[in-house]
Amino acid sequence: METKSFPGVVDSLDELRDYIGELAQKAGLVKKSTYSLKLAIDEIATNIILYGYERTGLKADFTVLSEITEDKLTVILEDVAAAFDPLSREMPDHEDLTMALEEREIGGLGIFLTINGVDDFSYEYKDGKNRNIFIMKIVKS
Amino acid sequence: MAFKIETEIDELVAKMTLVGELDSLSARVFMTEIEKIADKSILSLVLDMEKLDFMSSAGLRVLIFSKQKIGPQLSIFIVKPQELIVDTLEKTGLHHSVTIVDQYPV
Repeated sequence: METKSFPGVVDSLDELRDYIGELAQKAGLVKKSTYSLKLAIDEIATNIILYGYERTGLKADFTVLSEITEDKLTVILEDVAAAFDPLSREMPDHEDLTMALEEREIGGLGIFLTINGVDDFSYEYKDGKNRNIFIMKIVKS
Repeated sequence: MAFKIETEIDELVAKMTLVGELDSLSARVFMTEIEKIADKSILSLVLDMEKLDFMSSAGLRVLIFSKQKIGPQLSIFIVKPQELIVDTLEKTGLHHSVTIVDQYPV
């Protein structure tokens, strides 16, 4: 697997999205899938940085591991913050998503966009690390 | 890509032109612009997104915040958003609460 590390600060998000764009291009993903993957990874990385690192005063990197095979691109975000499964959060339901803006709760949209944007999203905690795993299928034209 | 925002206020209309990528870092800049107009009598917030290439949920939260801070009388117009940003607005149901237009005034 290819690996690349980024400092765990919000200034890294721009460079992270560029890097994901390069991986998507290598894998031959179409524009829409590339955007969805960038968005999903940006959302999870933002949570890691803001809540896993900044809020607890932890200064650490996070790592992107990636692998391109014939039929899929796998990207894993690894961090050393306290264990947190993003799937444990309550997702906005249909009622929440159709509510008027003035009545809306502000949270939960990031994980919703993550799960909706990729072909598969999973989480595991292994060897003291959170591993958020994103899979995009590669459709051959 | 660096994020830029320019605000023009013309009586009851605040027009903001957003350029670049709107993530949780640049959303802070967007939020500051909204806070600056929050105490003015604004009826329409016009967001020109033609040159906005990316918007995460941090950007959506600022849209929700705008309405909550300025009040329910505020109409939000989004001018020429790119297709993938429209997709995000639709998935999250925010398109019900904003008006997507090709130009403003409509």
